[in-house]
Amino acid sequence: MLAYIVRRLLLAVLTVWAISVLSFIIIHLPPGDYVTSYIASMSASGSAVSEGEAKALREQLGLDKPITIQYMKWMGLMLQGNFGMAMEWGRPVTDVIGDRLTLTVVISLAAIVFTWALALPIGIYSAVYRYSFLDYLFTFVGFVGLAIPGFLLALIVMYVGFAWFGANVGGLFSPEFAEAPWSFAKAWDLTKHLPIPAIVLGVAGTAQLIRIMRSNLLDELRKPYVVTARARGLPEYRVIMKYPVRVALNPFISTIGYLLPYVVSGSIIVSLVLSLPTVGPLLLKALIAQDMFLAGTIVLLLGVLTVVGTFLSDLLLMWVDPRIRLGRE
Amino acid sequence: MKLMRAVSVLVGFGLLVLSIGSGGAAAQTAAPAPVKIGSSLIGKLEGPTIITDAKTFPTSFKEAPMLAEQVKAGKLPAVDKRLPEPSQLFVVKPLNEIGKYGGNWRRAFTGPADHENGNRINSADKILTFDYTGTKIIPSLARDWKVSDDGKTTTIYLRKGARWSDGTPFTANDFVFWYEDIYLNKNIVPTPFFEFQIDGKDGKIRKIDDYTVAFEFPEPYAFFVYQLAGSTGIGAGFATRGAFQNWGGAYAPAHYLKQFLPKYSSEEAANKKAKDLGFDSWVSLLRNRYSWALNPELPVMTPWRTVSPINTPTWSMERNPYFWGVDTAGNQLPYIDRITMTLAENAEVANLRAIAGEYDIQERHMHLSKLPVFLENAKKGNYTVHLDPGLNGADAAIHIGNSYEGDPEIAKLLRNKDFRHALALGIDRDQLNEAFWLGVGSPGSVAPAPDTIYSPGPEWNKKWGVLDLKQANELLDKVGLSKKDSDGYRLRSDGKGRLRLEMVTVGGQFVPYTQIGEMVKQQWKKIGIDVDIKELERNLAFTRDENNQNQMITWANDGSEVLFLFPRHALPVDAAESHMGMAYAKWYASKGASGKKPEDPEMLRAFDLFRASFGAKEDDRVKNAKEIWKIIVEQTWSIGTVGQSPAFMGVRLVKNNMGNVPDRQVNAQHARTPYTSMPITFYFK
Amino acid sequence: MAELAAPPEAGIQAEQRIAVATQWQLMWWRFRKHKLALAGTLVLIGFYLVAVFAEFLAYVDPQESDAQRSLIAPQSIHWSDDGRFAPYVYGLKGTRDPVTFKRVYVPDTSKKVPITFFGRGEHYQFLGLIPMDRHLFAVEDAKVAESLFLMGTDTQGRDLWSRLMYATRTSMTIGLVSVALSLVLGVVLGGISGYFGGVIDTIIQRIIEILRSIPTIPLWMGLAAALPGDWSVVQVYFAITIIISLIGWTELARVVRGRFISLKEEDFVMAAELVGCSKARIIFRHMVPSFISHIIAATTLAIPAIIISETSLSFLGLGLRPPAISWGVLLQDAQNIQALVISPWLLIPSFAVIVAVLAFNFMGDGIRDAADPYL
Repeated sequence: MLAYIVRRLLLAVLTVWAISVLSFIIIHLPPGDYVTSYIASMSASGSAVSEGEAKALREQLGLDKPITIQYMKWMGLMLQGNFGMAMEWGRPVTDVIGDRLTLTVVISLAAIVFTWALALPIGIYSAVYRYSFLDYLFTFVGFVGLAIPGFLLALIVMYVGFAWFGANVGGLFSPEFAEAPWSFAKAWDLTKHLPIPAIVLGVAGTAQLIRIMRSNLLDELRKPYVVTARARGLPEYRVIMKYPVRVALNPFISTIGYLLPYVVSGSIIVSLVLSLPTVGPLLLKALIAQDMFLAGTIVLLLGVLTVVGTFLSDLLLMWVDPRIRLGRE
Repeated sequence: MKLMRAVSVLVGFGLLVLSIGSGGAAAQTAAPAPVKIGSSLIGKLEGPTIITDAKTFPTSFKEAPMLAEQVKAGKLPAVDKRLPEPSQLFVVKPLNEIGKYGGNWRRAFTGPADHENGNRINSADKILTFDYTGTKIIPSLARDWKVSDDGKTTTIYLRKGARWSDGTPFTANDFVFWYEDIYLNKNIVPTPFFEFQIDGKDGKIRKIDDYTVAFEFPEPYAFFVYQLAGSTGIGAGFATRGAFQNWGGAYAPAHYLKQFLPKYSSEEAANKKAKDLGFDSWVSLLRNRYSWALNPELPVMTPWRTVSPINTPTWSMERNPYFWGVDTAGNQLPYIDRITMTLAENAEVANLRAIAGEYDIQERHMHLSKLPVFLENAKKGNYTVHLDPGLNGADAAIHIGNSYEGDPEIAKLLRNKDFRHALALGIDRDQLNEAFWLGVGSPGSVAPAPDTIYSPGPEWNKKWGVLDLKQANELLDKVGLSKKDSDGYRLRSDGKGRLRLEMVTVGGQFVPYTQIGEMVKQQWKKIGIDVDIKELERNLAFTRDENNQNQMITWANDGSEVLFLFPRHALPVDAAESHMGMAYAKWYASKGASGKKPEDPEMLRAFDLFRASFGAKEDDRVKNAKEIWKIIVEQTWSIGTVGQSPAFMGVRLVKNNMGNVPDRQVNAQHARTPYTSMPITFYFK
Repeated sequence: MAELAAPPEAGIQAEQRIAVATQWQLMWWRFRKHKLALAGTLVLIGFYLVAVFAEFLAYVDPQESDAQRSLIAPQSIHWSDDGRFAPYVYGLKGTRDPVTFKRVYVPDTSKKVPITFFGRGEHYQFLGLIPMDRHLFAVEDAKVAESLFLMGTDTQGRDLWSRLMYATRTSMTIGLVSVALSLVLGVVLGGISGYFGGVIDTIIQRIIEILRSIPTIPLWMGLAAALPGDWSVVQVYFAITIIISLIGWTELARVVRGRFISLKEEDFVMAAELVGCSKARIIFRHMVPSFISHIIAATTLAIPAIIISETSLSFLGLGLRPPAISWGVLLQDAQNIQALVISPWLLIPSFAVIVAVLAFNFMGDGIRDAADPYL
């Protein structure tokens, strides 16, 4: 057991290193660099960057050095705990990401809670009352949620919210709370703004979950032990909830790990449309600006979280499913 | 059965979508709301005036309540101690009336790269500026100026008693500091500013006395005073391109910045200080601290100073208690206490919030294509829509890659004037105007608006800028492309099949370049030209420009109306950004040391005229400019489509409770729109 | 269970049929009973027919633009003219309202524009080979504002119905290659990993982990910029989908690997080994067919994901871009406030996306239910 964990950890470190190299390469794939991006964005908004300035900036940011040296420099900094300065923001990368991290996690968790709270009961109902009217209705509504492109739904919901309910357009806070320090009023304001993002983000995942829950539970409900339990007089509610549902949840536990990177990055597209101050749009803008440190750190972060998530999933699965644990020994 | 459920849900969704639209349709048939809409969206050009006669200056002064409180609490000196001496003041006569103090101006910004959003409003700290018509130079930070008879020296006179935003006196020493410690330090500014050189020779700054500074050049440089007034690095002030990377001058707060320079401590100490704060060298730290938008502690001379920096979700600014301007009644300006900009991650959200009435005055990021929606919601949002037409000839110009080399046949054609003319004549600009500018723009060539100072005349806006299929087809036949294939497209003269051009566009900008390209592609069918529209990511498009890989690129030509202050969209002379021949731009900028010499004698003639204009007298310069424009239009190095429109930051939403806001303002780069309308005189009624 | 119980009269005969029926026949019989899946399949067949007959169903050139036709709302068709069945629409006079700045179209009742079925229109090459000029319905000699606009027009005055037909073709086909490639890679690599285990398994698993950790959007951006500049938009997109499929096989591989691990212990595999079958024969002839139905179901369910991701990437400006026509490109025009408020018919392509995705999902569900021997 222990040997297995240690081995996995070592492999994880190796994997993370490989991811760092890959992320760096990906960010440098597009021709040009941050300064090109800066010149272009200045030009697009009616300003200009002089040639001397461009050259000075390139030198200062080390963009004129070969790519391997830039990578070494980045690695060196990171191992010292310094993730570099976000070029566009003029602030340390850790600050820029850190600002948005809490809110991203909050929104992602809200979306996940919404999805699960909605999908699991519906999935259970659908399995138990298979082929009933409500089963079809839920399945159908769930699927429609899956089929509508998220960005379009976000725009429509945002506009409807504004036109019919006079709601604040996009964002997570009303203007008066935006830069105010945290307080109960601000937290309440945030809660009022959460439903729209949570629904838009969660709607797609609901269908998947309903379907998986339904089929997993159906698998379990056929098994002899359920028949036995019923025959022995257990109330129907306990017959279903006490054992089959718990077994049906097994596969979900293994997928929890994969949620980890999502929780941190949020959804890029929907966040962009709804103007949520999360890590997703930050990554997109960093990529467009070819901000090496910021984009590289976020991509690396997501990669690391995926590895960690997989590892956690495997551990959880081992813990939950004794067959796997025993099988190894 | 189940299918019926499916259908009904779909129908329900469809009804939802259609009902949103019918809301719009219903409004169309409702009675017109009592707001200012229609063709009178473009108002009368108006603005405040600067009073220069010291005899009429006010003698007693008042201040904003929020400052008066601080004075009472002993935190600030009294208002007359904070302003310059009474005869040295910057006195503004507001457009309509004396305003009231107070209020928070709400705006949208899109992130740390959007510093121009705040820069322009705050551009009072430029040494000189332009009046509200954008044509006459007027004093700003400097009280007055003089150009010597030989044109070699421009002297500016500062305001006695003016102070930085932290109370320290502002003197000529700040100019000397900037010049000696920043500009001449090769670690900070490796290459001299183009605008601070004449014919490649450097200028110098010399202190005459505490309040007089001279800019001296080895050769006549009468144009220099325009550099001080325009949007350039030397006349900058902190709120002009100085937000992040540019070492804007020509002055800097010596008392504050000394702490970051190794000259005043040591190289090791300066670097250590930087590393402690997370920067890799003292230059990076200095760069960060030099930015008024990033560093709230930086002393400034602007009317507002940053309180919450631009790299946070809210960029907010508060009034500068030491601002050196008053209105004619002696009230210290500005009237508005705060400016708060909220982050909009994308333009749709910004536009939607504007429609909801969440912004007080917003012209940046507002799309012309949404004009009908703005108008529809004007009453509900309690704002008025103003259109400010730009002065440049084309919001979307098809810049020809004159130095393109990739395909010899196409390169040859692109360098052929008749070919370019044919392409220009094959475009139906009225169609483009109707589809993308809602009919509001002016179709024509790239020449600037006829009422601008360098315009060669209104006929040049139409030259090679109309639809003439007959002549276009004739020209193409003449050029050797008379053979066509079965689909009607012209064949290459080198026998390699159909002639296929490539036009690069960039998506997601203020103007829909790709869609314009698509329409042009359909139009060029009629003259037998096949063109591939390639939408590229912006960086990639610019990188290809740098490497002379673009045959044609559709981009703006804003700023070109002030040819000498912002030439890069008109002529290939700037090696940082050039869309009509980077190799030529490099040749011009390096005076032949690198790049490629143009073969076109007309381009060389334009270059010579351009170079000579900086030292020339005003009249000669204007004559040169007109001649250059005639060359540009005649050679059609860039094909104009539709311009002189409000598409580029000209759709302005103004809440109805704002005062002193002009009906129409100059929409131009050198005017730092909206600065020439003097936002310091805007107020909340 | 209950589904396979036949009524007593036909009992023995039905049972005999079931006994000799092949796996595929059994699947088909079960699939037929799933009404929603059948509906989905029919819809998909319809979509692919549209894809094949796009030129026939469209009635104008989808790229032909004219600003005088900008933003026309869907027209209402008048079906009978003086009692005869002769569908027509009215010609339109369009101007821009100087007050609201919207395009306003007034039907000109004096100009009746007849619609002919199987009429002549744009020339095209059916299947790229046969030159034809007949369309399902057409307006002969259409003039600028005197034509049929079934679904209205966009900002450039291009007919939305015709564009939708071509968009359907692009969107329904472009993901198929990528999915097929992922399928092959997933089965092969997952199979090897599961069957052989040991070091090979560990290596492949690590590779899978690395590939899964790369966020797709940065990868897409990098690739889109790095590919040769002179490739057409569609070529670039195609290349990218292939590269993405080189990463997308991981999901399938994990599932296949899991199956192989459990199947390895089955008796029939041991029997095959004892009899002396080669490894390849065991894998492909015996093991793979046991779970091929699941593979098919997974693949069918992967296609809608590709469709949605195509639209999302177009939104970001990374996927297919104009002048290519796809659902994503059409939705780009609709992704703004003025479309929602003033010209909502631009959102109609979203219905196509929704219906296609739903249809694939239902069909995939049906296949999976039909293939699962235990249900």
